[in-house]
Amino acid sequence: MRRANVISGVILAVFGLIMLVVVIPWQVAPGPDGMMSPRLVPSIMMLVVTLLSALLVFNNLRAIRNERAVAEPNPITAAELGALFRLGVVFALAIALYLWVSPVMGGAALILGALLVLGERRPVVLIVMPAGLLLAVWLLFYKVLGTGIV
Amino acid sequence: MSNLLLGFQDVLTIATLSWVAFGVILGYVLGALPGLGKATGVSVAIPLTFYLQPAAALGMLIGIAKGSAAGSAVSAILLNTPGEPSSAPTALDGYPLARQGKAQKALKMGLFASVIGDFLSTLVLIGLAAPLARYALLIGPVELCAILLFSLTFIGGLSGQSMTKGLIAGALGVFFATVGLETETFIPRFTFDMLELDDGIKLVPMAIGMLAVAEMVVQAGNLKALDSDGGRIKDSMERADRVILAAEWKRCIPAILRGTFIGSVVGILPGLGASVGSFLSYGAAMKASKTPEKFGTGMIEGVAAAESADNAVVPSSLIPLFALGIPGSVIAAILIAAFILHGLTPGPLMFQQQPRLVADVYAAMLCASVILLVVGYTGQRIFALVIKAPLRLIIPGVLLLCTIGAYMETSSAFSIYIMLAFTLLGFFARKLDFSFVTFLIGFVIGPNLELSFRQTLQLLDHKAVNLVHHPIALVFILLSIVTVWWIGRGHRPRADSGNQSPAATPDHAVRDLTHNHKGG
Repeated sequence: MRRANVISGVILAVFGLIMLVVVIPWQVAPGPDGMMSPRLVPSIMMLVVTLLSALLVFNNLRAIRNERAVAEPNPITAAELGALFRLGVVFALAIALYLWVSPVMGGAALILGALLVLGERRPVVLIVMPAGLLLAVWLLFYKVLGTGIV
Repeated sequence: MSNLLLGFQDVLTIATLSWVAFGVILGYVLGALPGLGKATGVSVAIPLTFYLQPAAALGMLIGIAKGSAAGSAVSAILLNTPGEPSSAPTALDGYPLARQGKAQKALKMGLFASVIGDFLSTLVLIGLAAPLARYALLIGPVELCAILLFSLTFIGGLSGQSMTKGLIAGALGVFFATVGLETETFIPRFTFDMLELDDGIKLVPMAIGMLAVAEMVVQAGNLKALDSDGGRIKDSMERADRVILAAEWKRCIPAILRGTFIGSVVGILPGLGASVGSFLSYGAAMKASKTPEKFGTGMIEGVAAAESADNAVVPSSLIPLFALGIPGSVIAAILIAAFILHGLTPGPLMFQQQPRLVADVYAAMLCASVILLVVGYTGQRIFALVIKAPLRLIIPGVLLLCTIGAYMETSSAFSIYIMLAFTLLGFFARKLDFSFVTFLIGFVIGPNLELSFRQTLQLLDHKAVNLVHHPIALVFILLSIVTVWWIGRGHRPRADSGNQSPAATPDHAVRDLTHNHKGG
């Protein structure tokens, strides 16, 4: 976790600095005289994030030096990153189908895609699950709750 | 009291009770499934309540939270895999009991202890929240600002393993709360010319993304480990192994009452979480026992102590929310969205402005406790089967519900993009141990913190020395500093990290916790 802390600390510190120097002045007007600037709270928060991130980096670098590098497991496994990427692709596909074809197609693609990504290969499950879930959602919202979704 | 009777009048209808029961069942199932929990359940279910009456909607959501806290014992006892981290101490004795063929006995004691802890803690909530709120009304903006700051520091310091990371998460939460039109000057902040962001980032899609979808992604990355367990418990047919005997009740009642007390106190303190409550209660039961060496081999008091405290945390964690408007737990933070949606703004004023709705919530909570007992007792065998359903079939359904839930908040795909953006943030926060609980609480209290900070600056005439006229604020500022110093020096109880190993010995688990308490 030490290395991960250093990397995440550097990323957060850089993020905080960019927000302070570039994004806050660009995205938030200074505000009228005599009132608290709308920039104040976001700036304080980003200052806190930057300083604490620098502290995180410093403490962990010092600990790494003192502890003598012991091989530690990566906090994020390849399988988890793979799942994140694959489910991201499924969501992208489902949103594209929702926007360009129909909400039902988007929903079906989300369920079917997620099942495939998670290793489900039985044809019956691949057909019944999307159909059953979409039917259940339709019943719940349109019949039980009496409202439309889209 | 008369309001509470009116509350029962509103809640004791077939429609409302059905929705509360639906919430309890849903929560029980979600709690029993490892990886899913009350936060996921409540955040996904909020959009389902858009079209329900307030009493039914809030009762259903609270039913999910209560059901989930009780249901997590099922997988802890049958699979040695807690449905939620707070049930890890339940597994220490529940699983050995199940291996001895006494699964039914352990499940029953888990349920009874859960219901008693939950019911008594709800009474504590009813008894304490309104009187505390009366004092809270005397608090001005300067004091409120200091209290909010203290809460955020306290929660940031205790959630997760590192105070620095907890405080970073809290600051990021407050920062994201500043997105949108500023309330006083109406100057847009970080909207990037997108009209959808003028109202700020909505809590529901954010919470769904950070809590539910991110959790599903993590589970999807660990499917092999989760799929491999299950189905190894055989039930004994002996009556003595299936029911709780009078002698066992006699041993368990003190453990349950002690656990309820510990859970209620832990729940009131913001940020400690149910895991701390259940481990402390388990440790206390061990210390009080004449045979502490037998803990971890199937002592039913261990199950009773852990489950009573675990469930007592849920209602009492609503005390700071109701009395001060400060969410002390992630469930309380998510429930704020639901409460506001249904016309109840949590905080001291709600007892004056909406006494009937508050009474409805109390009545629904008490009814949910009774329903939990009925549902848990009659459906225990079915729930034991549900946990054998593979997660690969559950995740797609949860993802669909999450997407629908996020979409319904604004009826626009933009909410889905928000959900996905915060899924990414939630995923990395989870894996890198940045407390998403503190982030969400920072996000929820952010607008209040900014408003009270603004008023404080005006009231103090921009001079810090004027703080001497506000002794309560000074006390809380000092408490914040002491908290940072105290936790920074390594004094911290282990809160919900989600990493407690059920395989750990009870001695290890409890010693670790007390060791951390003592600052070792």
